Amino acid sequence: MSSSPVAGPAPTGPSSGPATGPTGQPSPGHRRGPGRPGRRVRPVSAVARRGPRRGIARYWPQYLAVSPYYLLFSVFMLFPMLYTVYLAFQKWDGIGDMQFVGFQQFRFLWDDPIFWMSLRNTLVIWVLSTVPMLFMALLLAVLVNSTKRFTGFYRVALFIPSITSLVAIAIFFGAVFSNNFGLINAILKGLHLSAVPWMSNEWTIKLVIAALMTWQWTGYNAIIYLAGLQAIPSELYEAARMDGAGPARILFSITIPLLRPIILFTVVISTVTGLQSFTEPQVLFGSDASTNPNSGGPGQAGLTTLLYFYHQAFDNNDFGYAAAIVWAFFLLILLIVVINWRLVQRKERRP
Amino acid sequence: MDLSRRRFLEAAVLTAATAGLTAACGGGSGSGSKDSKNLKFWYWAGGLSDKVVADAKKHFSDATLKTSVIGGDFKTKLLTGLKSAASAPDITGLKGEDIASFLPNANRFIDLNTLGADKLAPDYLSWKLKQATSQDGKLIGFPIDIGPCAMFYREDLFEKAGLPTDPAKVSAQLSTWDDYFDAGVELHKALRKTFLINNIGSVFSMMIGQGTKRFIDEDNKFIGDQDHIRTAWTTAVKPYTLKIDAKINDNTWNAAIGNGTLGTEIGAAWHALDISNAAPGTKGKWRVASLPGGPSNLGGSFLALPATCANPELAFKVITWILSPENQARGFTDAALFPTAPAAYKLPALTGGDAFFGGQKTIEIFGPAAEKIPAAYEAPADAAVSAAYFNQLTAIEAKGKDPDDAWKDAVSQGKQIAQRQGVK
Repeated sequence: MSSSPVAGPAPTGPSSGPATGPTGQPSPGHRRGPGRPGRRVRPVSAVARRGPRRGIARYWPQYLAVSPYYLLFSVFMLFPMLYTVYLAFQKWDGIGDMQFVGFQQFRFLWDDPIFWMSLRNTLVIWVLSTVPMLFMALLLAVLVNSTKRFTGFYRVALFIPSITSLVAIAIFFGAVFSNNFGLINAILKGLHLSAVPWMSNEWTIKLVIAALMTWQWTGYNAIIYLAGLQAIPSELYEAARMDGAGPARILFSITIPLLRPIILFTVVISTVTGLQSFTEPQVLFGSDASTNPNSGGPGQAGLTTLLYFYHQAFDNNDFGYAAAIVWAFFLLILLIVVINWRLVQRKERRP
Repeated sequence: MDLSRRRFLEAAVLTAATAGLTAACGGGSGSGSKDSKNLKFWYWAGGLSDKVVADAKKHFSDATLKTSVIGGDFKTKLLTGLKSAASAPDITGLKGEDIASFLPNANRFIDLNTLGADKLAPDYLSWKLKQATSQDGKLIGFPIDIGPCAMFYREDLFEKAGLPTDPAKVSAQLSTWDDYFDAGVELHKALRKTFLINNIGSVFSMMIGQGTKRFIDEDNKFIGDQDHIRTAWTTAVKPYTLKIDAKINDNTWNAAIGNGTLGTEIGAAWHALDISNAAPGTKGKWRVASLPGGPSNLGGSFLALPATCANPELAFKVITWILSPENQARGFTDAALFPTAPAAYKLPALTGGDAFFGGQKTIEIFGPAAEKIPAAYEAPADAAVSAAYFNQLTAIEAKGKDPDDAWKDAVSQGKQIAQRQGVK
């Protein structure tokens, strides 16, 4: 389903981003930046200046090699995406005639308390999952990085949750946290504590969804941090130790500053994927009741924005309104990503 | 660079073909003529008796029925399939909760009255046929089954609480919702861990089904703020204030139904299968009585012929054969599909006793109810609007929201949904 971080931008982004400082040459005659494959053979600079038409002709095998992805991308991602822009200005039930309604869907959206509630739910679940997830991932990565034995085992173990079927995990969590007969409540009762109605209280519902996401993606982020850690030269650590720095000091003065581009990457990816939580509440509360499907559980506490979008599009068949929801949501994600980016960037310049 | 232009073109065509194949997989044959012998037939698991469908393939030996049991979200897949004649089925199931939303696009389906359904109509329940009839009189679906509702109760628990146990007596004594709730209070007083109902949404949905008006009227006007809905709401909230509501809104229902947390259960005939699946250990302890407040219906599907159907005459023969009273009786035995043809109610498959209900002949409750269900106009946006009310009822149970505040929010949200769907 949707929330696999693997679908995000390629992980080359932050390591070659502006944060690391230019290690390569700025290459002045190289204007058409992204996607241009000829960088390595630049020394023959006379050839590269022959204009774009010749460039494509010259490098066609490379373009051909990358074309299947872009073809599939255009058919299955780009076209549907652009089509939703069109849909957001229409009223359409899926099979009948479309009717142009201007900005009406967005006006409805502005007045819809359920949409705003779904945004609140999404943000709360995102904060509850992302913050502990990234902290724990960093901690795990540092721990695994310092082990000498079974490193392969630890890495595989960390990665397994992220490739486990989300639906299976959701069903499992549903059973563990079940109100009356769940494992956790059985343990609580065994300790003579009162059971917690996990699946009906508006806060515990969010907590369960956040716990599920944390469980699934902590290991994945830890692996990325681990890769970053191994790129830090060991001389730096040796030097720090010689100067008498303790483990905590080393973590905060060497590891975290040098890991900053990687942290930025994980923050952006977790923002984009964490805000798109859909499968988790859909499976946990998507009871197959014909009267009220995909409502997001008791009190609609698990109604995330994408679940609300799904409900409008595929239960109510209000495709125009659903398109307006996703575009409004897209703008919000963009805003949060920019804020994140600036936050992490600014710290970069300080030392 | 020894690749020639020709080989480049070859490679490009190959790439495009691969992409095309990926996109087109699942497409089928689309013949334009109206007398094809190949019929694509879509339904969902449990939507029809598989045995009857298998027999239909044998019975119509001159035709080829290509059946597909469609999993997942059936309505969405059907909407996508109907986009082109090549991908559309020739015969398809339509779920009861979706039928109203297809009516504004009745022209996408064949009017079954033009194929002779009007002559068969007297044999089938008129209120059910009305659900599949558009406002200009087109019949787009032939009814598979219905969901006449009743009150399921635990005879053993009723006995312990000193309540009547005989189905006829229970039906007579608990004939109104207030009588029913009074019995619930007694039941809960005698057995502290036993509640009357699983959640208040179920009472609300039953009461809406008992009326002749729903959330939107024939003139496409929102009437979800009027007295008939308000009454259903106040009645539904009563068991909550009386503390005889188990407030179950999740999968713990499965356990609750088996361990005596629920003393009664209100639901459609097909719900009996849910109970016996979830609580096989309670076999023989359940009985069925009439629904308090009068008959109601929940669910029940249709078979329809999309306008692109390759052979309407033959397809209509197939669906009327599958849904003949005799075959409907078999559907009841195989898949708990309650027949839409009253003639089937007299067949042995239905008149026998049900061991799960202690040998009770449940048709004596469901049969008369089925024929007395009130016909109500269900607007295309009805299900979408009603969701607001169910969400607010759940909010009362989950968050302890004040019922009056919940009512105000339900009405204002219901109005908004209606407005978005083009209701005045």
